[in-house]
Amino acid sequence: MQRKARIKVEKLTYHYGSGQPVLKNISFETGKGECIALIGQNGAGKTTLAKHFNGLHRPSSGKVYIDGIDTTSMKVSELARKVGFVFQNPDHQIFHDTVAREVAFGLRNLRLSRREIEERTAAALEAVGLTEHCRTYPFNLSKGQRQRIALASVLAMQTETIVLDEPTTGQDFRESVQIMEIVRKLNENGHTIIFITHDMSLVARYARRVLVLCRGEILADGDVRSVFAAPEILKKTYLRPPQITNLARCLGRHSIPPDVLGVRELYELLVKMRSEKIGCCS
Amino acid sequence: MKQSGNFTAAANKRHYSQERMVTLALLQIKNFSFSYPRSAQPALQGINISVEKGEFIGITGPTGAGKSTLTYCLNGIIPHFQGGSCQGRISLGGASIFDRSPAQISRLVGSVFQDPEAQIISPEVEQELAFGPENLGFPPAEIEQRIGKALELAGIPGLRNRPTVNLSGGEKQRVAIAAALAMLPEILVLDEPTSELDPVGTDEIFQVLNLLNKEHGMTIIMVEQKTEQLAAYADRILVFNEGRIALEGEPRQVFARRRELEQIGVRIPQVARLAGLLGGYERCTLPLTVEEGHLYLESILRR
Repeated sequence: MQRKARIKVEKLTYHYGSGQPVLKNISFETGKGECIALIGQNGAGKTTLAKHFNGLHRPSSGKVYIDGIDTTSMKVSELARKVGFVFQNPDHQIFHDTVAREVAFGLRNLRLSRREIEERTAAALEAVGLTEHCRTYPFNLSKGQRQRIALASVLAMQTETIVLDEPTTGQDFRESVQIMEIVRKLNENGHTIIFITHDMSLVARYARRVLVLCRGEILADGDVRSVFAAPEILKKTYLRPPQITNLARCLGRHSIPPDVLGVRELYELLVKMRSEKIGCCS
Repeated sequence: MKQSGNFTAAANKRHYSQERMVTLALLQIKNFSFSYPRSAQPALQGINISVEKGEFIGITGPTGAGKSTLTYCLNGIIPHFQGGSCQGRISLGGASIFDRSPAQISRLVGSVFQDPEAQIISPEVEQELAFGPENLGFPPAEIEQRIGKALELAGIPGLRNRPTVNLSGGEKQRVAIAAALAMLPEILVLDEPTSELDPVGTDEIFQVLNLLNKEHGMTIIMVEQKTEQLAAYADRILVFNEGRIALEGEPRQVFARRRELEQIGVRIPQVARLAGLLGGYERCTLPLTVEEGHLYLESILRR
Protein backbone atom coordinates (compact mmCIF):
# COMPACT_ATOMS: atom_id res chain seq x y z
CA MET A 1 0.00 0.00 0.00
CA GLN A 2 1.25 3.47 -0.81
CA ARG A 3 1.99 5.86 2.03
CA LYS A 4 -1.01 7.49 3.65
CA ALA A 5 -2.03 10.94 2.57
CA ARG A 6 -2.09 13.46 5.40
CA ILE A 7 -5.54 14.72 4.41
CA LYS A 8 -7.67 12.86 1.94
CA VAL A 9 -10.99 14.28 0.79
CA GLU A 10 -13.24 11.94 -1.16
CA LYS A 11 -16.38 13.14 -3.01
CA LEU A 12 -17.14 15.58 -0.20
CA THR A 13 -20.48 17.34 -0.37
CA TYR A 14 -21.68 19.63 2.40
CA HIS A 15 -24.71 21.77 2.97
CA TYR A 16 -25.75 23.87 5.94
CA GLY A 17 -29.11 22.58 7.22
CA SER A 18 -31.33 21.72 4.27
CA GLY A 19 -29.91 24.47 2.02
CA GLN A 20 -28.05 24.29 -1.27
CA PRO A 21 -24.73 22.46 -1.13
CA VAL A 22 -21.81 24.76 -0.24
CA LEU A 23 -19.27 22.12 -1.25
CA LYS A 24 -19.96 19.85 -4.21
CA ASN A 25 -18.24 16.54 -4.78
CA ILE A 26 -14.75 17.63 -3.76
CA SER A 27 -11.83 15.23 -3.96
CA PHE A 28 -8.12 15.83 -3.37
CA GLU A 29 -5.35 14.70 -1.10
CA THR A 30 -2.33 16.31 0.48
CA GLY A 31 1.02 14.76 1.19
CA LYS A 32 3.27 15.33 4.18
CA GLY A 33 5.13 18.63 4.20
CA GLU A 34 3.10 20.37 1.49
CA CYS A 35 2.36 24.10 1.57
CA ILE A 36 -1.00 24.68 -0.05
CA ALA A 37 -2.92 27.90 -0.65
CA LEU A 38 -6.68 27.57 -0.74
CA ILE A 39 -8.06 30.44 -2.80
CA GLY A 40 -11.39 31.54 -4.27
CA GLN A 41 -13.89 34.38 -4.17
CA ASN A 42 -15.81 35.41 -1.02
CA GLY A 43 -18.33 32.63 -0.38
CA ALA A 44 -16.56 30.02 -2.55
CA GLY A 45 -16.53 27.55 0.36
CA LYS A 46 -12.89 27.85 1.50
CA THR A 47 -13.59 28.14 5.23
CA THR A 48 -16.33 25.51 5.06
CA LEU A 49 -13.89 23.09 3.46
CA ALA A 50 -11.13 23.89 5.95
CA LYS A 51 -13.47 23.26 8.89
CA HIS A 52 -13.79 19.66 7.71
CA PHE A 53 -10.12 19.11 8.48
CA ASN A 54 -10.56 19.57 12.21
CA GLY A 55 -14.05 18.12 12.52
CA LEU A 56 -15.97 21.37 13.00
CA HIS A 57 -17.96 20.26 9.98
CA ARG A 58 -18.78 16.66 9.06
CA PRO A 59 -19.47 15.75 5.44
CA SER A 60 -23.11 15.62 4.33
CA SER A 61 -21.86 12.93 2.00
CA GLY A 62 -18.41 11.68 1.04
CA LYS A 63 -15.44 11.20 3.34
CA VAL A 64 -12.59 13.14 4.89
CA TYR A 65 -9.64 11.13 6.17
CA ILE A 66 -6.88 12.48 8.40
CA ASP A 67 -3.84 10.20 8.46
CA GLY A 68 -5.99 7.49 6.99
CA ILE A 69 -8.70 7.70 9.64
CA ASP A 70 -12.25 8.71 8.74
CA THR A 71 -13.01 11.98 10.59
CA THR A 72 -16.58 10.88 11.33
CA SER A 73 -15.13 8.28 13.69
CA MET A 74 -13.01 10.87 15.53
CA LYS A 75 -13.90 13.40 18.19
CA VAL A 76 -12.99 17.06 17.68
CA SER A 77 -10.62 16.69 20.65
CA GLU A 78 -8.80 13.83 18.90
CA LEU A 79 -8.58 15.79 15.67
CA ALA A 80 -7.15 18.74 17.59
CA ARG A 81 -4.01 16.67 18.14
CA LYS A 82 -3.59 16.20 14.40
CA VAL A 83 -4.82 19.41 12.80
CA GLY A 84 -4.27 22.88 14.25
CA PHE A 85 -6.61 25.63 13.09
CA VAL A 86 -5.92 29.36 13.20
CA PHE A 87 -9.20 31.19 12.73
CA GLN A 88 -9.58 34.28 10.60
CA ASN A 89 -10.45 36.50 13.54
CA PRO A 90 -8.17 35.85 16.53
CA ASP A 91 -10.68 37.59 18.77
CA HIS A 92 -13.07 34.68 18.22
CA GLN A 93 -10.64 32.28 19.82
CA ILE A 94 -8.77 34.27 22.48
CA PHE A 95 -10.39 34.22 25.92
CA HIS A 96 -7.70 34.06 28.60
CA ASP A 97 -6.37 36.96 30.64
CA THR A 98 -2.70 36.49 29.77
CA VAL A 99 -0.95 35.55 26.57
CA ALA A 100 0.82 32.59 28.19
CA ARG A 101 -2.42 31.16 29.63
CA GLU A 102 -4.06 31.43 26.24
CA VAL A 103 -1.26 29.49 24.61
CA ALA A 104 -1.20 26.87 27.41
CA PHE A 105 -4.94 26.20 27.23
CA GLY A 106 -4.82 23.51 24.54
CA LEU A 107 -1.83 21.87 26.23
CA ARG A 108 -3.64 21.62 29.55
CA ASN A 109 -6.45 19.85 27.70
CA LEU A 110 -3.90 17.35 26.45
CA ARG A 111 -3.11 16.70 30.15
CA LEU A 112 0.60 17.24 29.63
CA SER A 113 2.92 17.68 32.59
CA ARG A 114 3.31 21.19 33.94
CA ARG A 115 6.92 21.26 32.82
CA GLU A 116 6.08 20.22 29.29
CA ILE A 117 3.31 22.83 29.13
CA GLU A 118 5.72 25.53 30.24
CA GLU A 119 8.37 24.48 27.78
CA ARG A 120 6.04 24.26 24.81
CA THR A 121 4.38 27.57 25.67
CA ALA A 122 7.72 29.33 25.93
CA ALA A 123 8.91 27.84 22.63
CA ALA A 124 5.69 28.79 20.81
CA LEU A 125 5.81 32.36 22.13
CA GLU A 126 9.39 32.65 21.10
CA ALA A 127 8.60 31.39 17.60
CA VAL A 128 6.02 34.17 17.11
CA GLY A 129 8.11 36.83 18.85
CA LEU A 130 5.82 37.39 21.83
CA THR A 131 8.03 36.16 24.69
CA GLU A 132 8.17 39.56 26.35
CA HIS A 133 4.37 39.73 26.32
CA CYS A 134 3.73 36.41 28.05
CA ARG A 135 2.02 38.09 31.00
CA THR A 136 0.21 40.74 28.97
CA TYR A 137 -3.58 40.90 28.67
CA PRO A 138 -4.15 39.81 25.04
CA PHE A 139 -6.56 42.63 24.22
CA ASN A 140 -3.95 45.23 25.14
CA LEU A 141 -1.96 44.03 22.13
CA SER A 142 -2.50 44.91 18.47
CA LYS A 143 -4.64 42.79 16.19
CA GLY A 144 -1.50 41.54 14.45
CA GLN A 145 -0.03 40.49 17.78
CA ARG A 146 -3.30 38.76 18.73
CA GLN A 147 -3.17 36.92 15.40
CA ARG A 148 0.26 35.68 16.46
CA ILE A 149 -1.11 34.57 19.87
CA ALA A 150 -3.64 32.44 18.02
CA LEU A 151 -0.84 31.07 15.88
CA ALA A 152 1.29 30.31 18.97
CA SER A 153 -1.62 28.42 20.57
CA VAL A 154 -1.73 26.19 17.51
CA LEU A 155 2.08 25.84 17.32
CA ALA A 156 2.23 24.69 20.93
CA MET A 157 -0.05 21.76 20.08
CA GLN A 158 2.68 20.52 17.69
CA THR A 159 0.13 19.20 15.22
CA GLU A 160 1.41 17.78 11.96
CA THR A 161 -1.00 19.84 9.91
CA ILE A 162 -1.74 23.53 10.42
CA VAL A 163 -4.65 25.28 8.73
CA LEU A 164 -4.71 29.09 8.66
CA ASP A 165 -7.86 30.93 7.60
CA GLU A 166 -6.87 34.32 6.15
CA PRO A 167 -4.01 34.79 8.61
CA THR A 168 -3.09 38.21 7.24
CA THR A 169 -6.48 39.92 6.83
CA GLY A 170 -6.50 43.26 8.60
CA GLN A 171 -2.73 43.10 9.15
CA ASP A 172 -0.38 45.66 7.77
CA PHE A 173 2.37 44.72 5.34
CA ARG A 174 5.05 44.06 7.94
CA GLU A 175 2.76 41.99 10.16
CA SER A 176 1.65 39.94 7.14
CA VAL A 177 5.24 39.17 6.24
CA GLN A 178 6.04 38.31 9.88
CA ILE A 179 3.18 35.83 10.07
CA MET A 180 3.95 34.25 6.72
CA GLU A 181 7.65 33.90 7.59
CA ILE A 182 6.63 31.92 10.68
CA VAL A 183 4.43 29.77 8.45
CA ARG A 184 7.33 29.24 6.06
CA LYS A 185 9.56 28.05 8.91
CA LEU A 186 6.90 25.64 10.14
CA ASN A 187 6.65 24.19 6.67
CA GLU A 188 10.44 23.86 6.45
CA ASN A 189 10.32 21.97 9.74
CA GLY A 190 8.00 19.41 8.18
CA HIS A 191 4.53 20.69 9.04
CA THR A 192 1.87 20.40 6.36
CA ILE A 193 0.40 23.86 5.81
CA ILE A 194 -2.92 24.87 4.29
CA PHE A 195 -3.63 28.59 4.22
CA ILE A 196 -6.60 30.55 2.93
CA THR A 197 -5.98 34.01 1.50
CA HIS A 198 -7.12 36.64 -1.01
CA ASP A 199 -3.63 38.07 -1.31
CA MET A 200 -2.19 36.59 -4.50
CA SER A 201 1.29 37.99 -3.89
CA LEU A 202 1.42 35.93 -0.67
CA VAL A 203 0.30 32.86 -2.61
CA ALA A 204 3.06 33.48 -5.16
CA ARG A 205 5.65 33.92 -2.45
CA TYR A 206 4.78 31.20 0.03
CA ALA A 207 2.64 28.44 -1.48
CA ARG A 208 3.87 25.64 -3.69
CA ARG A 209 0.48 24.17 -4.57
CA VAL A 210 -2.79 26.03 -5.09
CA LEU A 211 -6.33 24.75 -4.76
CA VAL A 212 -8.79 27.09 -6.52
CA LEU A 213 -12.33 26.88 -5.23
CA CYS A 214 -15.32 28.33 -7.06
CA ARG A 215 -18.91 28.00 -5.87
CA GLY A 216 -18.14 24.89 -3.88
CA GLU A 217 -16.16 23.10 -6.58
CA ILE A 218 -12.45 22.72 -7.27
CA LEU A 219 -11.68 24.74 -10.37
CA ALA A 220 -7.95 24.09 -10.46
CA ASP A 221 -5.41 22.18 -8.40
CA GLY A 222 -1.76 22.50 -9.30
CA ASP A 223 1.54 24.20 -8.67
CA VAL A 224 1.47 27.97 -8.25
CA ARG A 225 3.06 28.75 -11.62
CA SER A 226 0.64 26.73 -13.69
CA VAL A 227 -2.38 28.18 -11.86
CA PHE A 228 -1.21 31.80 -12.18
CA ALA A 229 -0.37 31.27 -15.84
CA ALA A 230 -4.10 30.63 -16.46
CA PRO A 231 -5.73 33.94 -15.50
CA GLU A 232 -8.98 33.03 -17.27
CA ILE A 233 -9.54 30.28 -14.68
CA LEU A 234 -8.77 32.61 -11.80
CA LYS A 235 -11.17 35.19 -13.18
CA LYS A 236 -14.04 32.72 -12.89
CA THR A 237 -13.62 32.83 -9.14
CA TYR A 238 -12.98 36.57 -8.95
CA LEU A 239 -9.23 36.31 -8.51
CA ARG A 240 -6.36 37.80 -10.43
CA PRO A 241 -2.66 36.88 -10.56
CA PRO A 242 -0.24 39.27 -8.81
CA GLN A 243 0.55 42.56 -10.57
CA ILE A 244 4.05 41.38 -11.52
CA THR A 245 2.69 38.18 -13.16
CA ASN A 246 0.27 40.30 -15.19
CA LEU A 247 3.12 42.55 -16.24
CA ALA A 248 5.25 39.57 -17.29
CA ARG A 249 2.37 38.30 -19.44
CA CYS A 250 2.51 41.53 -21.47
CA LEU A 251 6.11 40.74 -22.39
CA GLY A 252 5.57 37.48 -24.25
CA ARG A 253 7.11 38.81 -27.46
CA HIS A 254 10.34 39.44 -25.54
CA SER A 255 10.20 35.74 -24.59
CA ILE A 256 9.49 36.44 -20.93
CA PRO A 257 7.63 33.39 -19.57
CA PRO A 258 3.99 34.01 -18.53
CA ASP A 259 4.37 32.37 -15.12
CA VAL A 260 6.69 34.82 -13.34
CA LEU A 261 5.82 34.95 -9.63
CA GLY A 262 7.94 37.67 -8.08
CA VAL A 263 9.53 41.07 -8.66
CA ARG A 264 13.04 39.73 -8.12
CA GLU A 265 12.44 36.92 -10.61
CA LEU A 266 11.29 39.28 -13.38
CA TYR A 267 14.13 41.66 -12.58
CA GLU A 268 16.70 38.89 -13.00
CA LEU A 269 15.14 37.74 -16.28
CA LEU A 270 15.26 41.30 -17.63
CA VAL A 271 18.84 41.88 -16.52
CA LYS A 272 19.91 38.62 -18.11
CA MET A 273 18.13 39.57 -21.32
CA ARG A 274 19.74 42.97 -21.41
CA SER A 275 23.23 41.60 -20.85
CA GLU A 276 22.70 39.00 -23.60
CA LYS A 277 21.55 41.72 -25.95
CA ILE A 278 24.60 43.82 -25.19
CA GLY A 279 26.76 40.71 -25.59
CA CYS A 280 25.50 39.95 -29.12
CA CYS A 281 25.84 43.55 -30.29
CA SER A 282 29.41 44.05 -29.20
CA MET B 1 -19.26 62.34 27.55
CA LYS B 2 -16.20 63.76 29.17
CA GLN B 3 -13.97 65.96 27.15
CA SER B 4 -10.68 67.36 28.10
CA GLY B 5 -8.61 69.45 25.74
CA ASN B 6 -9.28 72.68 24.06
CA PHE B 7 -11.91 72.53 21.41
CA THR B 8 -14.09 75.26 22.86
CA ALA B 9 -16.46 76.99 20.53
CA ALA B 10 -15.02 80.42 21.22
CA ALA B 11 -11.47 79.38 20.41
CA ASN B 12 -12.56 77.76 17.20
CA LYS B 13 -14.58 80.77 16.07
CA ARG B 14 -11.54 82.94 16.47
CA HIS B 15 -9.47 80.58 14.31
CA TYR B 16 -12.28 80.41 11.82
CA SER B 17 -12.33 84.10 10.99
CA GLN B 18 -8.54 84.13 10.57
CA GLU B 19 -8.35 81.13 8.30
CA ARG B 20 -11.25 81.79 6.08
CA MET B 21 -9.44 84.62 4.39
CA VAL B 22 -6.55 82.50 3.24
CA THR B 23 -8.05 79.21 2.15
CA LEU B 24 -10.97 77.68 0.38
CA ALA B 25 -10.04 74.09 1.17
CA LEU B 26 -13.04 71.85 1.83
CA LEU B 27 -11.34 70.11 4.72
CA GLN B 28 -8.58 71.64 6.75
CA ILE B 29 -6.72 69.92 9.54
CA LYS B 30 -4.29 72.18 11.36
CA ASN B 31 -1.69 71.18 13.94
CA PHE B 32 -4.05 68.51 15.11
CA SER B 33 -3.12 66.09 17.89
CA PHE B 34 -5.23 63.56 19.74
CA SER B 35 -4.64 61.27 22.70
CA TYR B 36 -6.92 58.48 23.87
CA PRO B 37 -7.79 58.54 27.58
CA ARG B 38 -5.08 57.05 29.86
CA SER B 39 -2.73 56.73 26.93
CA ALA B 40 0.80 58.05 27.32
CA GLN B 41 1.49 58.24 23.60
CA PRO B 42 -0.64 60.54 21.42
CA ALA B 43 -2.46 58.66 18.64
CA LEU B 44 -2.10 61.65 16.31
CA GLN B 45 0.56 64.33 16.52
CA GLY B 46 0.83 67.64 14.66
CA ILE B 47 -1.30 66.57 11.69
CA ASN B 48 -1.70 69.11 8.88
CA ILE B 49 -3.86 68.20 5.91
CA SER B 50 -5.67 70.40 3.47
CA VAL B 51 -8.13 68.77 1.08
CA GLU B 52 -9.66 70.55 -1.89
CA LYS B 53 -13.11 69.71 -3.10
CA GLY B 54 -12.96 66.81 -5.58
CA GLU B 55 -9.64 65.36 -4.39
CA PHE B 56 -9.09 61.64 -3.86
CA ILE B 57 -6.76 61.22 -0.89
CA GLY B 58 -5.26 57.82 -0.11
CA ILE B 59 -3.96 57.17 3.40
CA THR B 60 -1.76 54.19 4.17
CA GLY B 61 0.69 53.07 6.82
CA PRO B 62 1.20 50.36 9.44
CA THR B 63 -1.42 49.46 12.04
CA GLY B 64 -1.36 51.74 15.04
CA ALA B 65 -0.16 54.68 12.92
CA GLY B 66 -3.31 56.72 13.62
CA LYS B 67 -5.15 56.22 10.32
CA SER B 68 -8.42 54.99 11.83
CA THR B 69 -8.20 57.55 14.60
CA LEU B 70 -8.09 60.26 11.96
CA THR B 71 -11.25 58.89 10.34
CA TYR B 72 -12.96 58.91 13.75
CA CYS B 73 -12.06 62.59 14.08
CA LEU B 74 -13.66 63.28 10.71
CA ASN B 75 -16.94 61.46 11.25
CA GLY B 76 -17.55 62.69 14.78
CA ILE B 77 -16.92 59.44 16.68
CA ILE B 78 -14.21 61.59 18.26
CA PRO B 79 -15.21 63.63 20.27
CA HIS B 80 -18.87 62.62 20.49
CA PHE B 81 -18.59 58.92 21.34
CA GLN B 82 -14.92 58.47 22.20
CA GLY B 83 -13.23 60.55 24.89
CA GLY B 84 -9.71 61.84 24.80
CA SER B 85 -7.93 65.12 24.41
CA CYS B 86 -7.45 67.12 21.22
CA GLN B 87 -5.32 70.03 20.18
CA GLY B 88 -5.45 71.96 16.97
CA ARG B 89 -8.43 72.08 14.74
CA ILE B 90 -10.38 70.34 11.98
CA SER B 91 -12.69 72.40 9.83
CA LEU B 92 -15.03 71.22 7.14
CA GLY B 93 -16.59 73.77 4.82
CA GLY B 94 -15.02 76.51 6.94
CA ALA B 95 -16.51 75.55 10.31
CA SER B 96 -15.00 73.46 13.09
CA ILE B 97 -16.14 69.87 13.01
CA PHE B 98 -16.15 69.67 16.78
CA ASP B 99 -18.83 72.35 17.05
CA ARG B 100 -21.23 70.21 15.07
CA SER B 101 -23.62 67.61 16.43
CA PRO B 102 -23.32 63.97 15.28
CA ALA B 103 -26.47 64.51 13.17
CA GLN B 104 -24.93 67.52 11.43
CA ILE B 105 -21.67 65.66 10.82
CA SER B 106 -23.59 62.70 9.39
CA ARG B 107 -24.90 64.96 6.61
CA LEU B 108 -21.46 66.21 5.73
CA VAL B 109 -19.27 63.14 6.12
CA GLY B 110 -20.25 59.74 4.73
CA SER B 111 -18.49 56.85 6.46
CA VAL B 112 -17.69 53.35 5.26
CA PHE B 113 -15.88 50.94 7.56
CA GLN B 114 -13.85 47.75 7.21
CA ASP B 115 -16.53 45.20 7.93
CA PRO B 116 -19.79 45.66 5.99
CA GLU B 117 -21.45 43.10 8.28
CA ALA B 118 -20.95 45.43 11.20
CA GLN B 119 -22.24 48.45 9.31
CA ILE B 120 -25.35 47.15 7.52
CA ILE B 121 -28.33 46.94 9.86
CA SER B 122 -31.38 46.48 7.60
CA PRO B 123 -32.75 43.26 6.11
CA GLU B 124 -33.24 44.92 2.71
CA VAL B 125 -31.04 47.18 0.61
CA GLU B 126 -33.74 49.85 0.14
CA GLN B 127 -34.36 50.08 3.90
CA GLU B 128 -30.64 50.37 4.52
CA LEU B 129 -30.45 53.38 2.22
CA ALA B 130 -33.61 54.96 3.64
CA PHE B 131 -32.37 54.73 7.23
CA GLY B 132 -30.16 57.83 7.26
CA PRO B 133 -32.45 60.23 5.37
CA GLU B 134 -35.47 59.00 7.42
CA ASN B 135 -33.62 59.84 10.60
CA LEU B 136 -33.05 63.34 9.32
CA GLY B 137 -36.82 63.64 8.80
CA PHE B 138 -36.91 64.13 5.04
CA PRO B 139 -40.28 63.72 3.28
CA PRO B 140 -40.86 60.34 1.54
CA ALA B 141 -40.55 61.81 -1.98
CA GLU B 142 -37.10 63.18 -1.19
CA ILE B 143 -36.00 59.93 0.45
CA GLU B 144 -37.17 58.07 -2.66
CA GLN B 145 -35.17 60.39 -4.88
CA ARG B 146 -32.04 60.06 -2.76
CA ILE B 147 -32.25 56.25 -2.70
CA GLY B 148 -32.55 56.10 -6.50
CA LYS B 149 -29.62 58.44 -7.00
CA ALA B 150 -27.40 56.73 -4.43
CA LEU B 151 -28.01 53.28 -5.93
CA GLU B 152 -27.15 54.62 -9.35
CA LEU B 153 -23.95 56.28 -8.15
CA ALA B 154 -22.81 53.11 -6.38
CA GLY B 155 -23.56 51.12 -9.54
CA ILE B 156 -26.10 48.83 -7.86
CA PRO B 157 -29.61 49.84 -9.02
CA GLY B 158 -30.39 46.13 -9.48
CA LEU B 159 -29.85 45.40 -5.78
CA ARG B 160 -32.60 47.71 -4.54
CA ASN B 161 -35.03 45.03 -3.38
CA ARG B 162 -32.52 42.37 -2.46
CA PRO B 163 -32.12 41.02 1.09
CA THR B 164 -28.81 42.30 2.44
CA VAL B 165 -27.78 38.89 3.87
CA ASN B 166 -27.53 37.32 0.40
CA LEU B 167 -25.16 39.89 -1.06
CA SER B 168 -21.49 39.24 -1.83
CA GLY B 169 -18.84 41.12 0.13
CA GLY B 170 -18.26 43.59 -2.70
CA GLU B 171 -22.01 44.17 -3.04
CA LYS B 172 -22.38 44.73 0.69
CA GLN B 173 -19.62 47.34 0.67
CA ARG B 174 -21.26 49.09 -2.27
CA VAL B 175 -24.53 49.13 -0.30
CA ALA B 176 -22.61 50.74 2.57
CA ILE B 177 -21.22 53.31 0.12
CA ALA B 178 -24.70 53.94 -1.33
CA ALA B 179 -26.12 54.39 2.19
CA ALA B 180 -23.45 57.00 2.85
CA LEU B 181 -24.22 58.71 -0.48
CA ALA B 182 -27.95 58.87 0.33
CA MET B 183 -27.01 61.49 2.94
CA LEU B 184 -25.55 63.66 0.12
CA PRO B 185 -22.29 64.11 2.01
CA GLU B 186 -19.60 66.64 1.15
CA ILE B 187 -16.92 64.05 1.64
CA LEU B 188 -16.69 60.26 1.75
CA VAL B 189 -14.36 58.73 4.36
CA LEU B 190 -13.55 55.03 4.00
CA ASP B 191 -11.51 52.99 6.47
CA GLU B 192 -10.00 49.91 4.77
CA PRO B 193 -13.26 49.09 2.96
CA THR B 194 -11.71 46.29 0.87
CA SER B 195 -9.76 44.40 3.52
CA GLU B 196 -12.30 41.56 3.70
CA LEU B 197 -12.96 41.43 -0.05
CA ASP B 198 -11.62 39.20 -2.79
CA PRO B 199 -9.65 40.88 -5.60
CA VAL B 200 -12.66 41.41 -7.85
CA GLY B 201 -14.75 42.77 -4.96
CA THR B 202 -11.83 45.11 -4.27
CA ASP B 203 -11.81 46.27 -7.89
CA GLU B 204 -15.56 46.94 -7.76
CA ILE B 205 -15.07 49.28 -4.82
CA PHE B 206 -12.17 51.14 -6.43
CA GLN B 207 -14.06 51.53 -9.71
CA VAL B 208 -17.13 52.94 -7.96
CA LEU B 209 -14.98 55.35 -5.98
CA ASN B 210 -13.08 56.39 -9.09
CA LEU B 211 -16.31 57.10 -10.95
CA LEU B 212 -17.75 59.02 -8.01
CA ASN B 213 -14.61 61.07 -7.82
CA LYS B 214 -13.93 61.72 -11.52
CA GLU B 215 -17.49 62.00 -12.85
CA HIS B 216 -19.29 63.46 -9.87
CA GLY B 217 -16.53 65.37 -8.12
CA MET B 218 -16.97 63.54 -4.82
CA THR B 219 -14.19 64.25 -2.36
CA ILE B 220 -12.79 60.97 -1.05
CA ILE B 221 -10.50 60.07 1.82
CA MET B 222 -9.63 56.39 1.78
CA VAL B 223 -7.51 54.50 4.29
CA GLU B 224 -6.17 51.42 2.52
CA GLN B 225 -3.42 48.79 2.68
CA LYS B 226 -3.77 47.79 -0.98
CA THR B 227 -1.27 50.28 -2.34
CA GLU B 228 -1.34 48.94 -5.92
CA GLN B 229 -4.91 50.11 -6.39
CA LEU B 230 -4.50 53.18 -4.21
CA ALA B 231 -1.55 54.29 -6.35
CA ALA B 232 -3.66 53.93 -9.49
CA TYR B 233 -6.62 56.00 -8.30
CA ALA B 234 -5.58 58.48 -5.61
CA ASP B 235 -4.50 62.05 -6.45
CA ARG B 236 -2.40 62.21 -3.32
CA ILE B 237 -1.01 59.67 -0.86
CA LEU B 238 -0.38 60.30 2.82
CA VAL B 239 1.77 57.75 4.63
CA PHE B 240 1.11 57.69 8.35
CA ASN B 241 3.62 56.38 10.86
CA GLU B 242 3.49 56.58 14.65
CA GLY B 243 0.77 59.22 14.70
CA ARG B 244 2.42 61.53 12.18
CA ILE B 245 2.40 62.05 8.45
CA ALA B 246 5.72 60.58 7.35
CA LEU B 247 5.42 61.04 3.58
CA GLU B 248 3.03 62.98 1.42
CA GLY B 249 2.65 63.66 -2.28
CA GLU B 250 1.44 62.34 -5.59
CA PRO B 251 1.57 58.54 -5.80
CA ARG B 252 4.62 58.64 -8.10
CA GLN B 253 6.56 60.82 -5.69
CA VAL B 254 5.61 58.80 -2.63
CA PHE B 255 6.23 55.33 -4.09
CA ALA B 256 9.64 56.40 -5.38
CA ARG B 257 10.79 56.74 -1.73
CA ARG B 258 11.64 53.07 -1.48
CA ARG B 259 13.93 53.14 1.55
CA GLU B 260 11.60 55.17 3.72
CA LEU B 261 8.59 53.06 2.76
CA GLU B 262 10.43 49.84 3.52
CA GLN B 263 11.51 51.22 6.85
CA ILE B 264 7.96 52.25 7.76
CA GLY B 265 6.60 48.94 6.46
CA VAL B 266 4.45 50.02 3.51
CA ARG B 267 3.99 47.70 0.56
CA ILE B 268 5.31 49.25 -2.65
CA PRO B 269 3.33 48.35 -5.80
CA GLN B 270 5.18 45.49 -7.52
CA VAL B 271 5.59 47.39 -10.81
CA ALA B 272 7.13 50.34 -8.95
CA ARG B 273 9.47 47.99 -7.07
CA LEU B 274 10.65 46.48 -10.33
CA ALA B 275 11.23 49.92 -11.81
CA GLY B 276 13.12 50.88 -8.66
CA LEU B 277 15.47 47.93 -9.19
CA LEU B 278 15.95 48.50 -12.92
CA GLY B 279 16.13 52.28 -12.87
CA GLY B 280 16.01 54.19 -16.13
CA TYR B 281 12.92 56.26 -15.35
CA GLU B 282 12.61 59.83 -14.19
CA ARG B 283 11.03 60.20 -10.78
CA CYS B 284 7.95 61.83 -12.29
CA THR B 285 7.27 58.88 -14.55
CA LEU B 286 7.71 56.02 -12.09
CA PRO B 287 5.35 53.34 -13.45
CA LEU B 288 2.67 52.25 -10.98
CA THR B 289 0.22 50.10 -12.93
CA VAL B 290 0.59 47.09 -15.25
CA GLU B 291 -0.10 49.31 -18.30
CA GLU B 292 2.49 51.88 -17.24
CA GLY B 293 4.92 49.11 -16.39
CA HIS B 294 4.45 47.62 -19.83
CA LEU B 295 5.23 50.92 -21.59
CA TYR B 296 8.23 51.50 -19.35
CA LEU B 297 9.68 48.02 -19.98
CA GLU B 298 9.11 48.27 -23.74
CA SER B 299 11.06 51.51 -23.69
CA ILE B 300 14.02 50.12 -21.78
CA LEU B 301 14.03 46.88 -23.77
CA ARG B 302 14.26 48.87 -26.97
CA ARG B 303 17.38 50.65 -25.80
